[in-house]
Amino acid sequence: MNKLKYLLYKDFLLLIRDVAGLLLMFLMPVILVVLMTLLQDSTLNVVKDTHVPLLLVNNDKGELGKIIEEEITRTGIFDVTGLVKGRKPGLEELEKEVASSHYMMGIYIPENTTESIRANVAEYVLAAFSGEEEMPPIKKVDLTVFIDPTTKTSFFTAVTSTLQEKAQKVQFEFILSQMTEQVNNMSPIPFNTKGFTGDQVNIEIRNARLEGKDIVPNSVQHNVPAWSLFAIFFIVVSLAGSIIREREGGSFSRLLTMPCSYTEYLLSKALVFTLVALIQFAIMLLMGMYVLPYFGLESLNPGTSFPALFILALSCAFAAIGYGIAIGNLARTDQQSSVFGAISVVIMAAVGGVWVPSFLMSDVMKNISLLSPMHWGLSGFYDIFLRDAGVVAILPESAALFGFGAVCFALAVGYNHKYRIDI
Amino acid sequence: MNSQYAIETVHLKKTYRGKAVPTLDDLCLRIPYGSLFGLLAPNGAGKTTAINVICGLRRFDGGAVFVGGHSIATEMKAVKPLLGLVPQEIALFPSLTARENLKIFGGLNGLSGSKLNSRVDELLTLFDLTQSRDTIIGHFSGGMKRRINLIAGMLHSPRILILDEPTVGVDAQSRKLILDKLLEINRSGTTILFISHYLEEAEEICSEVAFMDRGTILCQGNPSRLKAGYSECPNLESLYLTLTGKKMRDHHE
Repeated sequence: MNKLKYLLYKDFLLLIRDVAGLLLMFLMPVILVVLMTLLQDSTLNVVKDTHVPLLLVNNDKGELGKIIEEEITRTGIFDVTGLVKGRKPGLEELEKEVASSHYMMGIYIPENTTESIRANVAEYVLAAFSGEEEMPPIKKVDLTVFIDPTTKTSFFTAVTSTLQEKAQKVQFEFILSQMTEQVNNMSPIPFNTKGFTGDQVNIEIRNARLEGKDIVPNSVQHNVPAWSLFAIFFIVVSLAGSIIREREGGSFSRLLTMPCSYTEYLLSKALVFTLVALIQFAIMLLMGMYVLPYFGLESLNPGTSFPALFILALSCAFAAIGYGIAIGNLARTDQQSSVFGAISVVIMAAVGGVWVPSFLMSDVMKNISLLSPMHWGLSGFYDIFLRDAGVVAILPESAALFGFGAVCFALAVGYNHKYRIDI
Repeated sequence: MNSQYAIETVHLKKTYRGKAVPTLDDLCLRIPYGSLFGLLAPNGAGKTTAINVICGLRRFDGGAVFVGGHSIATEMKAVKPLLGLVPQEIALFPSLTARENLKIFGGLNGLSGSKLNSRVDELLTLFDLTQSRDTIIGHFSGGMKRRINLIAGMLHSPRILILDEPTVGVDAQSRKLILDKLLEINRSGTTILFISHYLEEAEEICSEVAFMDRGTILCQGNPSRLKAGYSECPNLESLYLTLTGKKMRDHHE
C-alpha cells in the first residue's frame, strides 16, 4: 500500500507538471463540445428553416382551393408562392417555372373546382334518392402537380396526400349536406348535420420516453456525452506517452528493479487517469447543464440516476485507460503511440457515432458501429439522458466497457510477463 | 546454493529473437560479497543484457542467476530489496525536482516518513547537492544529473549496487566525487558491480575485474594479479585490448 502511495505521488506530480498534456485533456474537450454543439445546432436549424419552394396557382374560388392553400402552408415544409411577376401563371407557365428549377413543386387548381365537385355530388345524390339504377357519369376534376426530378419523394408524397385528403373531405361534406337537404325535403323531422366535418381521428405524434418525462433529443444531449467520451478516450495519447517516456528514459526499468510489481505500477497510472477522466466528464456535464445555455443552446438534463451516470462514466474511463495501457506497452516509441493512439481514437469516435449519431447511419455502418467502445458508452448515455434510465438499464454497456478495459489490461500485463520477471 | 557470492550466474544463456548469435553464451560470473567488481567489455559484448537479466528486466533462455543466494527465477521478491540499480541513462523524472525524485524512489524501496526525508537529505549533502534539492532535474547539469542518478539507486542502502557507466559524460570533479563516494560505500560493506569503459577508473577502484566478450567471461580476478599473468601488459587497458582485440565493435540492439 505504501508503494502504491509513492507511485500515485509520482504519477500525480508528473500529470500536473505536464501543462501541454493538461491542456489537451481538459481544454480541448471543452472547446470541442461548445464548437460542435453550436455547429450541429445551427446546422439543424438551417435544415429546419429551409423550406421547399412551391408555386401554388389557385384559380378556384370555392372551399377546396382555399382549404388546400391553407393546409399546404400549414405543413411548414414549403415556401408557398402564388404569383409569378405579379400575376397568376397559367398551366404551361407553371410547368416551365418548375422545369427551370425556380420551384421544386407546382400545384395547379383549375377554376370552379369546388363547383364541379359540388355539381357532381348534387347530381349523384339526386339520382340516388330518385331510385335510379344507373348513376350519372362523373365529370372528373383535374388537379395538376409538377415536380422537379430532384425533389425528395417524401415532399411530393406529403403534397399528394394533402391534396387527396382535402379533396375527399370536401366531397364528404358536400355529400352530407346534399343528403341532409334531400332527407329534410322528405321528412317532417329536421335532420341536422351542420357542423359535422368528419374529422374524428386525430393523429398525435410524440417522442417515445419513459414515465412521462418530457425529454426531447437535441444537439446538447448528443454532443455532451459524445465529446466527453472522445475526451476520455483521448487520454490514451497522454497515458501511453507517459508509459513510453518512462520506458525510454530508463526510470521504468529502475522502478521495476524496486520491490513493486508491474501491476502496481499500472494500477497507479490507472487510478490517476481515472480521476482525470471523471473530472473531464464532470466538467463536460456541468458545461452542458450550465454553460451551453449561455450560447443559446438547450440545457442538458442529466437524468435522475446519479449512480447510473457515475457507473457508466467509470466504465468508459476504465475502457479508455485499459486501451491506453495496452498501447503504451505494445508501441515501441512515443511517436508510434501518439500517432496510433490518436488515429485509432478518432476512428473509434467516427465509427461509434460521435460526429454523426449512429441512428443516422446506414445499416452497414450501424452494424460496424457496434464494434466501437465509444458506441457502447454513447448508447448508455442516451439511455440516461433521453430515456431517464437507471443503473440496470446501462449495465450491459458498462459490462462491455469494463470487459474491453480488462482485456487490454490483461494484454499489457501478459506482454510484460513474457519479457520480464515480475514479483 | 552457496551464498558466498553476492551475484552468481551459472551457464547463463540468452539469445534475442531473430538473432543467430547468442548475446549471453554460457556466462559464468561470480561476484563475491563486499567486492567492488569491475565488468569490462567492448560494445555489444552483452554486459547490459547481463545486468538486465540479473535485475529481472529480461528473461533468460537457460542457466541460472542467484542474487544474495536467491534464484531470480523463483525468488524475485526476495532479490529486489537487495539490489540497487544505477542505469547508464539518467533514469529520473525530468519534470520533478531532485527531492521529489528521491522521495519516490526511496518510498518505493520501502523507506517512509522521517527516515526517508533524513536519508534523502543525507545523500544530497554527501554528493554536494543540498542547494539544488528543489530544482527541477531538467535544469541540472550533466554531472548533477549523474549524481542524483547514483543517489536514487542507493537510497535504501542496498547490499548490492549495480552501476552501469556511472561516470560517463561528467567533468573531472564530478567523476572524482563519484568514485570517492563509491569507495566509501564499498568500504561500508556494499557489494558493487561496476561497469565502465574507463579502464583506468576500474584499475583505480576495483578489487576484482572480469573481462567479458561475446557473451562470455574471458578472465576474472584481482587487477594486479591479472596483469601479472600477462607480463607484456603494463595496465588493464593493454590487457583488455590483448584479450578482446583491436577491431571496432559496432553493434545494434
